[in-house]
Amino acid sequence: MRKKMNGGRGLSQLIIYVVLSALAISIVVPVAWVFMASLRQDNEFYGSPWTLPAGLHFQNFADAWGEARMGEYFLSSVLVTGMGIILLLALALPAAYALSRFRFRGHKVTGIFLMAGLFINMNYIVVPIFLMFVDADKALRTLFGGPFFMNNLFILALVYASTALPFTIYLLTGYLSTLPKEFEEAAYVDGAGYFATMIKVIMPMAKPSIVTVILFNFLFFWNEYILSMTLLTEMNGNRTLPVGLMNLMKAGKAAAHFGQMYAGLVMVMLPTLILYIFVQKKLTQGMTVGGLKG
Amino acid sequence: MFRKVISGLLSVSMLTVLLTGCAANTGNTNSTDDTGVTTEPDTTVVVDDTVDQPAPPEEETEAGPSGTVKVAVVEGAYGIDLWNAVIEGFNGVYPDVQVELILDKYVEDIVGPAMKAGDFPDAIHVATGRPLALTESFIKDQAMVDLTDLMAMTVPGESVTVGEKIIPGFLDSNATNPYPDGKTYMTPTFFDPCGLFYNAALFEEKGWTVPTTWDEMWALGDLAQEEGIYLFAYPTAGYFDAVFYGLLYEAGGPDFFKSATNYAEGIWDTPEAQSVFDIVAKLATYTEPSVPANANQENFLKNQQLLLDNKVLFSPNGTWLPGEMADAPRAEGFEYGFTALPAITAGGDRYSFAWFEQAWIPAGAENPDLAKIWFAYLYSDAAADIFAQFDATVAIPGAGERLSGEKQLFYSIYDDGAKVALGNFAATTPVEGVNPNTVWFDPVNSLVSGDKTAETWIADVKAASDQLRAALIVE
Amino acid sequence: MNKRKGRGRFIFFCLAPALILYTIFMIYPTVKVFEMSLYKWTGFVGEKTFVGINNFIILLEDDYFLRSLQNSILLIVVVTVFTISLSLTFAGILTREKIKGQSIFRIIFYIPNILSIVVISAIFSAIYDPANGLLNSFLALFKPGDAEPVYWLGDQKIVIYSIIIAMIWQAVGYYMVMYMASMSAVPVSLYECADLEGASHIKQFFSITLPLIWTNIRTTLTFFIISTINLSFMIVKAMTDGGPDGSTEVFLSYMYKQAYTNSSYGYGMAIGVVVFAFSFALSGIVNGVTKRENLEY
Repeated sequence: MRKKMNGGRGLSQLIIYVVLSALAISIVVPVAWVFMASLRQDNEFYGSPWTLPAGLHFQNFADAWGEARMGEYFLSSVLVTGMGIILLLALALPAAYALSRFRFRGHKVTGIFLMAGLFINMNYIVVPIFLMFVDADKALRTLFGGPFFMNNLFILALVYASTALPFTIYLLTGYLSTLPKEFEEAAYVDGAGYFATMIKVIMPMAKPSIVTVILFNFLFFWNEYILSMTLLTEMNGNRTLPVGLMNLMKAGKAAAHFGQMYAGLVMVMLPTLILYIFVQKKLTQGMTVGGLKG
Repeated sequence: MFRKVISGLLSVSMLTVLLTGCAANTGNTNSTDDTGVTTEPDTTVVVDDTVDQPAPPEEETEAGPSGTVKVAVVEGAYGIDLWNAVIEGFNGVYPDVQVELILDKYVEDIVGPAMKAGDFPDAIHVATGRPLALTESFIKDQAMVDLTDLMAMTVPGESVTVGEKIIPGFLDSNATNPYPDGKTYMTPTFFDPCGLFYNAALFEEKGWTVPTTWDEMWALGDLAQEEGIYLFAYPTAGYFDAVFYGLLYEAGGPDFFKSATNYAEGIWDTPEAQSVFDIVAKLATYTEPSVPANANQENFLKNQQLLLDNKVLFSPNGTWLPGEMADAPRAEGFEYGFTALPAITAGGDRYSFAWFEQAWIPAGAENPDLAKIWFAYLYSDAAADIFAQFDATVAIPGAGERLSGEKQLFYSIYDDGAKVALGNFAATTPVEGVNPNTVWFDPVNSLVSGDKTAETWIADVKAASDQLRAALIVE
Repeated sequence: MNKRKGRGRFIFFCLAPALILYTIFMIYPTVKVFEMSLYKWTGFVGEKTFVGINNFIILLEDDYFLRSLQNSILLIVVVTVFTISLSLTFAGILTREKIKGQSIFRIIFYIPNILSIVVISAIFSAIYDPANGLLNSFLALFKPGDAEPVYWLGDQKIVIYSIIIAMIWQAVGYYMVMYMASMSAVPVSLYECADLEGASHIKQFFSITLPLIWTNIRTTLTFFIISTINLSFMIVKAMTDGGPDGSTEVFLSYMYKQAYTNSSYGYGMAIGVVVFAFSFALSGIVNGVTKRENLEY
């Protein structure tokens, strides 16, 4: 297809391969190392980190899953992440659709209002959110005799979804505005209502960006721990996986269970890797952040 | 300059507001939460009424205390088994008191949010000096229940009071009595001597003697250096609290320590303080150079490993070290030795800092009287025996003797002439941007790596000391 | 008429749920943060005392804060410049050059982005370990045996760059994939013309590719600043906890230490307000500086 290269290209080609391979190795080796480390016994962690494990100590996984309750936490994480993503899509898709396909009064203000959320950092709004729930629970306790907002996986998922709205709406709006108008117009002509058009015509076309949104937010919800730690505080209650992992990592005057810790790391990492491998092909299609033409 | 004056004025007036606010609020600190789920003022009144009531039922009468006591405990060196055993023992004496245990490595993460929500545990076993500073916050808020009456309570089944039973001196420092009123607000429970660990087998093999003065220490450091062994490695800079406090005692005795930790004016310009600074700075030059790289929560075990690998001679730590390193590989024949800090002058006093975990009652607790009963039980001989089964000790005399083998050796440090260093920096209201640990101890990392001179460090200490003095909680 | 009314209602029901939840869980807490920055409060049970802008006055004279500001700015600038240029280069190579295993490289490069920070910090602790770390073991091959090792996380002149490397490593693939997406939308005919005119690939990259995806680069810059502030905190917290001796302290790690460890919650929130204003202003500046005529193809 391309013209034959002249002499210097062979060398630059080689350099390119060396650089690319070096970066690839710098990623594959450490990730493989985490898997390897999860099979070591506790006493193998004090020496050089780069030797092979003495044996395959799968017991680490059993211990982490059972003793350290990572199994239960895994389930909580799946629930929270799943609910969070469903809620997020249910909230963000219509909003992004309205913002990208309609011009209405307050359109610009609404867009800017939502964009401001991109600058809000989760790390400092955690405590106000927490205090808000605490106050609400106090009121509920006097009314109904029981708290509701704290230690509630659904509420945590709702907070996740809400805090992910600005970026998600931004991403979806960018993608949706690149879609041609003709399909909707055809649907209106056929007598379809707004809602039906959105569900039946636009959503299928938005699939690539939905996949991207799901992956991004899966990573965010799955790995998040600050909100989760603050809103799930019951003793022996629900925890999400990253918080369980942090519990494993906490140093506390007793011998550290490195094996369990690395087994926990793998448990956190594996689902994200698997999901990524599944969706990686679609990933590039949905990523038109900002749109090419602005 | 102008801004300084203004902010100075602001902080002074702010302080007055804060202090008057606190004074008006003692014993009812939770009044901001007006739902009144837990802390109604009359709860506190009840506390005062029950001062002498909870005498243990010597013969089974129906008058024994009853209810539920919520106890929040840091899961440190000792796990759930110890607590279950203690609770069983406690219920043997008080069958009608339910103990609800909240146990976690970072129990602050559980009870902290709960307390903000108005749900207070009755007893909290959390020491000062932890990352989330729960105990410090309650000291600063003056939101702890006065434990003076606990000290007057009789230890269940025994004839002595709690105050008499606790190791003499342990109730005399600001680690238990944070305010100038001298009242006890925190009671010492688990207790671990802190000192310098070494490999006794290595010393024997090389024919070295354990130094008793800092001059001998430096000489040994030079000697070991020739063999490629560094003198010193600390886990994190935070461990310098025990070293620094011990040195303050050695340099000027208890009164000097008290002035220094109360940020007395000019105290850091005294020759005593200078000798402490000099020793820390010199110790930094004898420190294994990779130590600062691993001196954080993530990697500090690597610094402790240096000792086990005979790469360094001494490491400052508390007696929980062997447990923490139980799985770690070690040099052949490794054998723990444990010594107090060397004396500054030949024949001078040697000190070993006594770390203990404070236990206290938050002002919002529903059942402070039951919490006191719980505390009192912990000092009984029966409880001490249970603790000893798990290699734990509470702050009563002879607790170390109940232990077995290695650990008993560590507790004998005070029998060999070392004096007990106790205490802490005095309580202040929060000073924004100034945290004593950050100013006093963290720079040790910089001294080792050469990024800061001792002069800069001392200048920063003096400046911080001035700011903290202005914020001291006064009577 | 029917249609217009239905349109307005439809738009309302599309936007209302998202806007309401967004207001409750993001806007309201942010307003509370601004409010709390005017108080002195330990964060637990004590009284809140109104102190006006005193927290901000203290900030101006707080050397530790100024250092965290300095570190944050250094991180933002260096990480942004390197990540963006590396990812553009790799994206350019992978879309334009005939590389065997192109998709394998693309898949692998993205992986660091999906790893949790805890995994990344564990990996880099093992890489930077002074005695047994991968880096020092590798460097030892080229140095005499008794040479002093490099203390990647201990030497205060180096440690911030060790953090920077970890952050670049983490982010390059993500931005590369993003740029690849937009580069692949550039019509091939443009490159074919340039080939015929004999322009080198490097020249094509600068005169065709970059101008055409400029809008995309601008947008990613804004996101980059925001995510670097956040990510630097997570990485620092997991790897050095701001140490040694505060040399890697960044905005948010310092905010945490003040709000929680130093019982100065209001002061911590004042730092939060500064971070908010800072990222807002910086994005505005970057947006203004990078403004170019939009090119279309």
